[in-house]
Amino acid sequence: MAKRTRLVWTAAALLPLTVLAAACGSSTTTTTPPSTAKQVGPSLPTSPNKTPETITETGSTLLYPLMGDWTEAYQKQFINSAGAPILTIETGGTGSGTGVTDAATGTVNIGASDAYLSASEKSSYPTMLNIALAISAQQISYNLPGVTTPLKLNGTVLAEIYTGKITKWNDSAIKALNPGVSLPDLAIVPLHRADSSGDTFLFTSYMNAQDSSAWPTSNVGTSISWPTVSGALAETGNGGMVSGCAATKGCIAYIGISYLSKTQAAGLGQAMIENGASQYLAPTASTISAEANALTGKTPADETLSMIDADVSGGYPIVNYEYAIVNTKQTNGTVAEDIRAFLYWAVHTGQSETTYLSAVNFEPLPSSVVALSDNQIAKIGT
Amino acid sequence: MGGAPAAQRDVGGRGQRSAGSWPAVPRRRQVGNVLFWALCLIALALVITPTVWLAGGVLYRAIPNFHWNVLFTRTQPSLSGGLVQPILGTFAITIGAMVIGGVISVLTGLYLSEFASGRHRGVLRGGYEVLAGIPSIVLGFVGYIALVVDLHLGFGLLPAVLVISVLTIPYITKSTETSLSHVPTGYREGAEALGIPQSWAMRKIVLKSALPGMITGFLVAAAIAVGETAPLIYTAYFSDQNPSMHLTHQAVPYLTYVVYYFSALVNPGTQANILSYDAALVLLVLVLLLIILGRIIAARSRRHAE
Amino acid sequence: MIPLLALCFILVVLLVEAIPAIRVNGAQFFYKSVWNPGSFSSTIVTTDGVKHLSGIDFGVLPDIVGTLATSAIALIVGVPISIGAALFIVERLPRRLANGVGVFLELLAGIPSVIIGLWGALTFGPFISQHITPWIARNMPDVPVLDFFRGATGDGEGMLTSGLILAIMIIPIVASTTRDLIRQVPILPREGAIALGMSDAQTARKVTLPWVSSGIVGAVVLGLGRALGETMAVAMTCGVSLGSVATNLYGTMTTISATIVTQLDGALSDGTGFNVRTIAELALVLMVITLAVNVAARLMVRKVSGTALPVGRGV
Repeated sequence: MAKRTRLVWTAAALLPLTVLAAACGSSTTTTTPPSTAKQVGPSLPTSPNKTPETITETGSTLLYPLMGDWTEAYQKQFINSAGAPILTIETGGTGSGTGVTDAATGTVNIGASDAYLSASEKSSYPTMLNIALAISAQQISYNLPGVTTPLKLNGTVLAEIYTGKITKWNDSAIKALNPGVSLPDLAIVPLHRADSSGDTFLFTSYMNAQDSSAWPTSNVGTSISWPTVSGALAETGNGGMVSGCAATKGCIAYIGISYLSKTQAAGLGQAMIENGASQYLAPTASTISAEANALTGKTPADETLSMIDADVSGGYPIVNYEYAIVNTKQTNGTVAEDIRAFLYWAVHTGQSETTYLSAVNFEPLPSSVVALSDNQIAKIGT
Repeated sequence: MGGAPAAQRDVGGRGQRSAGSWPAVPRRRQVGNVLFWALCLIALALVITPTVWLAGGVLYRAIPNFHWNVLFTRTQPSLSGGLVQPILGTFAITIGAMVIGGVISVLTGLYLSEFASGRHRGVLRGGYEVLAGIPSIVLGFVGYIALVVDLHLGFGLLPAVLVISVLTIPYITKSTETSLSHVPTGYREGAEALGIPQSWAMRKIVLKSALPGMITGFLVAAAIAVGETAPLIYTAYFSDQNPSMHLTHQAVPYLTYVVYYFSALVNPGTQANILSYDAALVLLVLVLLLIILGRIIAARSRRHAE
Repeated sequence: MIPLLALCFILVVLLVEAIPAIRVNGAQFFYKSVWNPGSFSSTIVTTDGVKHLSGIDFGVLPDIVGTLATSAIALIVGVPISIGAALFIVERLPRRLANGVGVFLELLAGIPSVIIGLWGALTFGPFISQHITPWIARNMPDVPVLDFFRGATGDGEGMLTSGLILAIMIIPIVASTTRDLIRQVPILPREGAIALGMSDAQTARKVTLPWVSSGIVGAVVLGLGRALGETMAVAMTCGVSLGSVATNLYGTMTTISATIVTQLDGALSDGTGFNVRTIAELALVLMVITLAVNVAARLMVRKVSGTALPVGRGV
């Protein structure tokens, strides 16, 4: 990074255009009002600092609507005597990768991500935290007109579909899981995400956890090299997955639970999938919570935990924490305090299902995980 | 052109047979003629159909849910409400690009048309012509790497405006250079004969008569700036705040972002999807207004010249 | 001077960013079909002094092929339509109507690409995949070359949809430039042709079009330049299938610009920064292609007609 910066500066020195840019840049960055850093204590602020301040959030498009709802409520709750919000929070969403990098480089204060930091990200950005904010899940959807019973599928079958070994819906492996269901002689069209996505990470993790010989660990990630399957389609965004699957008879797709109302409206079937306790379950509020609650004890202090395919009776197997990615080294003490206050509010008041979470079908954090998030939030300083 | 002598002989031959009246056109050629124009008409229909389908499709989906207060209501963080901030942001980015890109372009065009000569002119002109060929996503990527990350400007109005300025420079430069070169030499000679200082003549006579052409160039550039998406995603980013005088480290909202990221392709919310089509409608109307304005200015200046 | 400096600045930034990637990715970058940005379990390794994730593998042949193929479809479909329409506008339509159609062309040129992409992804693509392409795929004879038109027709995201969307985007550029050129053809040679007994269709084919051909080449190159670099409309309609070349006309595919805009976010989560460098290398490839097309065309047209190419997208 340092080497690159130096080289670009050399180039910039030759160029009036960038010199102009740099001049404007430095003049505006110095206008931030100076403030003294406050002591970071174990207790967390419950309201924003009185100094008017702006914090920024970017990242996951899955978390974007929830962040928006939280921000709106937070800015209405904490207002000054003139009725204006004390803390201004800017939200935006283009993707988890931007969220992680921009939070690490200080371009934004909070990054939103569907996946925890990878090993390489942790070693590149050692001062970054991933703080759990809510519980999300993923549904496996399919388009099979005439099949009304929810199909049962497991990781091995899914991996064989996505590697092209199973090509028809009436394949003996699918029949064996679904006795009594009349399956059509229809080609399977596997849909996968074209853009980098936390959903791809969850789905490939599930297949790998269920059957590591059918789906190798080297093919688990947010943006992977998909095996070539005849007829397979790539789609951009969860919305693209829903509309693509709705238009393609015989398709199968992995879609974030936030899109439940859309997949239902599109008439897509929702699979019951096998968990680590060999049960076949659909994603419902109770199966998602059951999985999350059973794993609270296993959640480490840094909240880096895969909840995929755990051996939990009654627990849906593709469940994950949604994370705020925050740098413990903020440039400004007041800003750090405001971030702590906002995140504290999000993991307490913001966990109300009826007010915030049910709109995107997320589930609240179990109380012991809230405590872990609190401990991590307290580390945010300067 | 090979057909011409044959046609000549043909005409001569028939001319002898029926002197005094038009020769009968052979059926084959009549059919050929009708067929050719029929194909051309089909081509025209194929140009018009997608435009009507496209604009009509957007209007059809946007208008039933469109309320005027969308223009005066703020975009809520929950991706509902109206479009005030994105509209302001699009205006801020466009105006910024018109100022920075405009000054650079007008000076470059002026230099090219009035002062540069020979090789120098060739190299400079080649420069901006090549600049016009750079894909906008490359400009956006370079903007992100160099301005947002390496120069630590963060997402903001300044990186966005700089990238869009580079995008608009070729159009404004070209129109400035062309309209200056269309100013009759007599104007300049006349001014010189009257002993008017060159700089004064330049401002009051040459630039004034080239102004309508230059304004049309600005409007074309504005239409492009209003409709760009790819170069802005990683420079302006997006936010739900009004654009302000914080030129750096404050993301800027803009309409094309709303069209894509609020659409059913990316976002599950019904309110967000409605806003996406509203933004598309506002963009279409903005572009249409810029085009009509350009037409009116061009028509008025033509009438003026006559 | 600033346009030149901006050009140099863009090239220098891209080169500086891309050089480590060029060294590590090597020649396979241009002939292999793979896009593997590393997995979640990747560790950081060093090759040639450049840090990157383990397991990465980049070969962008599909991106290059896709960029050229969609642009080719756009030209094959768009250019004849544009020229035919331009002829009809000038030779057959009354002046007032011709002006009206002119406004239409300007509007089409001015529609933001993201709106065209939205329409292509939500309306046009699904429409042709339900009503048109299955019929073509069924009735096309199963012989070499033509069998490229057979096979699965997908859900409307793919090469044909992107190519046709690009055709719609270049039509206003080519059509309005051709129209302006035809209007400038002097009346005398055309009257001469009529006097020689040519029908007006023959006059158009044998006198008018050859008269403006070099100008049309210029307009076509402008359109090609736009098609090669177009980002949003293609990214929203091509399906962004990385690492493989489409097996038929309807298959999902990717172009260089679509890969850049959809993969930059994922690349940013690589802490070593190598994946972003790879995207810089890809951007450099795109820039070289578009610049080569541009410069070659300008040299060619200058030689033929002695005039410069028009700048811009014909808005």
